[in-house]
Amino acid sequence: MRTSFGKAAAHGDQVPLWFYSHLFLTHPETRDMFPVSMAHQRDRLFAALGEVMARVDDLDALVPILAQLGRDHRKFGALAAHYPAVGASLLATLEHFDPDWDEALAASWAEAYGVIAEVMVGAADEAADDPPWWDAEVVAHERRTLEVAVLHVRPSQPLEYVPGQAISLESDLRPRLWRWYSPANAPRPDGVLELHVKARDGGPVSSALVRLAQVGDVLRLGPPVGHLALDTGSDRDLLLVAGGTGLAPMKALVDQVARHGPARRVDLFVGARTEDGFYDRADLRRLEQENAWLTVHCAVSQEKGSSLEHGDIADVVLRHGPWTGRDAYVAGNPGTVEDTVVRLSQHGVPMARIRTEVFAPSRPSPTVDGKVTE
Amino acid sequence: MTTTDSGPGYEAGPPTADDLRRVHFTPASMLHPGYTDREVDTFVAQVADQLAALSDENADLREQVRMLHEHLREAQARPSPSDQAVGILATAQLTADAYVAEAEDFSRQMTSEARAQYEEQLVEARDRAGAIVQAAAEARAAIVAAGGAGDGPNTQELQEQVAYLKAFGQSVRVQLRSYLEALLADVETEWGRAHPAVLPPALAGPRDRDADRGPGLTFHSNAADEHPGDGTPAPAGATAGVVPATRSAS
Repeated sequence: MRTSFGKAAAHGDQVPLWFYSHLFLTHPETRDMFPVSMAHQRDRLFAALGEVMARVDDLDALVPILAQLGRDHRKFGALAAHYPAVGASLLATLEHFDPDWDEALAASWAEAYGVIAEVMVGAADEAADDPPWWDAEVVAHERRTLEVAVLHVRPSQPLEYVPGQAISLESDLRPRLWRWYSPANAPRPDGVLELHVKARDGGPVSSALVRLAQVGDVLRLGPPVGHLALDTGSDRDLLLVAGGTGLAPMKALVDQVARHGPARRVDLFVGARTEDGFYDRADLRRLEQENAWLTVHCAVSQEKGSSLEHGDIADVVLRHGPWTGRDAYVAGNPGTVEDTVVRLSQHGVPMARIRTEVFAPSRPSPTVDGKVTE
Repeated sequence: MTTTDSGPGYEAGPPTADDLRRVHFTPASMLHPGYTDREVDTFVAQVADQLAALSDENADLREQVRMLHEHLREAQARPSPSDQAVGILATAQLTADAYVAEAEDFSRQMTSEARAQYEEQLVEARDRAGAIVQAAAEARAAIVAAGGAGDGPNTQELQEQVAYLKAFGQSVRVQLRSYLEALLADVETEWGRAHPAVLPPALAGPRDRDADRGPGLTFHSNAADEHPGDGTPAPAGATAGVVPATRSAS
C-alpha cells in the first residue's frame, strides 16, 4: 500500500485534482461542500493522507487524529453516506495513477479505508449531542483601526469552550472558507463571544469580516479546539505576552482568572508596531482598574515619538522580570512567539511552563499554504 | 415429552419441520386424559419465541437485500466517469483556481499599496503641517521682535492661519482615511462578486451590478464603457495603483 501511495504521491497536485474531479462527477452533490478555489483543499487532503500513511502501523496515534477529523467534518456537512463515495473515488484515483494496480491491492485499500471511515463516522456519531455547527449572530461590530475589528457574536445554542481555545468560523460573505479565531473572553452567561479580527492583505475571510460584516449577520461556528487553555493544576502567577490579535486568547485567560480564580498576579504584555495598533486599549484599561492583580504593559516596536515603552515585545518583557516563577502564555505572529519563547527559556522559565499559540494568516498568498489560526 | 433425538429443549437453533412432526407428548394420567398441559405450554412458548426471532431475522435480511439492491442501482446509475471527463473537470477547476488566486493577489496588492500610500501621506502631511506651523511661529516671533506697532491684526491673522492649517491637516487625515476605507471596501465587494455563491440566482447581468452598490468607489478596469462619464472619480485599474484622485470626503 505504501508503494502505491508513493507512486501516486510522485504525481503531486495531479492526484488530489483527479480525485476531487472524480468525486464531483460521480457525486455532484458533494461539490457544494467545498469552496470555489480548491487549491488549498488539495494540499490539505494530501497532508491528511500523508499523516495517515505515516501512522498506518501505529493505530494508537492514528485513531485520535481520525476521530478529531471525523468530529470536525460535521461542520462541513459531511454525513456517513458521503464516506463510501469518497472511498470509491480514492480507490479509482489510486488505480488511475498505479500501473501495477490489482485486485489484491484494491482489497487492502478498501479495507484500510473502511477502518478510517468507521473511526471517523463513529467519532462524528459520538459527538451527535452537539450540533454540527453553531449559528451565531453578530450583535456588535466595531472597527477599532483601519485593519482590526472587534465582533461580538451570540450563538443560538450554548457553545462550551475553554478560554484560550480557538473556534473555526465561516461567513456567508465567503462561503465554505473556514478560519480559526480565539474568543477574547471566558464563557459568559449570555453566551456572547468577543472576536478580534485583523484584515490580512488579500485575506478573503478576514478582510470581509472587518470591512463587510454587519450587525445581524449570521456566522457559523465549529467546535472549539486548542491547547492554550490555562493549566488548572497550577496556581502560579501568570505572565501573558500578546502580539497583534494574539491579545484575544490572553484576554480570555485574564477573564477566566477574574471569573473563576484562583487569585494570582497577572502581568499582560501587549506589543504592536505603532500606537495605532493598540485596538483594545480602553477595555484593557478597564480590566486593569477592575482587577488589582492585573498589570498591563503596552510596548511599541517602531513608532519613535510614542509615550509608550519602546522595543520588541520580548525585550520589554525581560526588562520587567524576573519571571522565573511564572507560568507563561504567548500568542502572536510566528516571529514574536518564537523570539519570546527563546528569550524566556534563556531567562530561566522552564519550557514545560511556556504555552504558545501562533497566529499566522492561513493564506499568506494564494499559492502558499500557511498554518492554523486566522 | 420427547422428540426422537434431542429430547426436551433444543440445544441450538429453531425447530425444524421434522422436529415438529416427531414431537411426542406423554399421555396424561387416566384421570386426566390428554397431554400434560405444562409440557405443551412450554413447548409452544419455545417455538413461538424461536419463530419470532426467525421472522425478525428475516425482516433484517430483507432490509439488507433491499439496501444492497438500492446501492447496486445507485452504483449502476453512477457509472465511473471517463478519464476524459475527469480531465475536463480538472482543467476547469484549475482555471477557476487561477482566477481566484489572481483576484486575491490583486486584492492583496491593492490593499498593501493603499496602506503604504496612506501611511506615507500621513507622515508627509504631518511633517508639512509641522513645518508650516513652525514657519508661522518663526514669522510671528520675527514680527514681535521687530516690535512694530500696529502688528496686532497681523498676529491675529497668523494665528487664524495656524488654526486653519491645523484644521486642514486634520481634515486631510480624515479624508485620506475615508477614501482608503471606501477603496478597501470596494476591493472586498469585488472579491465577493467573483464567488458564484453570492451571485443573484438569475446571474445578474453586468449592468445590474451597480444597482445595489453604495456610494463607494467603482472600478472601471474592465468596464470602462459601462458608465460613460458618470463623474465618479476612480483609479484607472490595477496597474495605475492607488491614486487618491480628487475624491471629496463622503
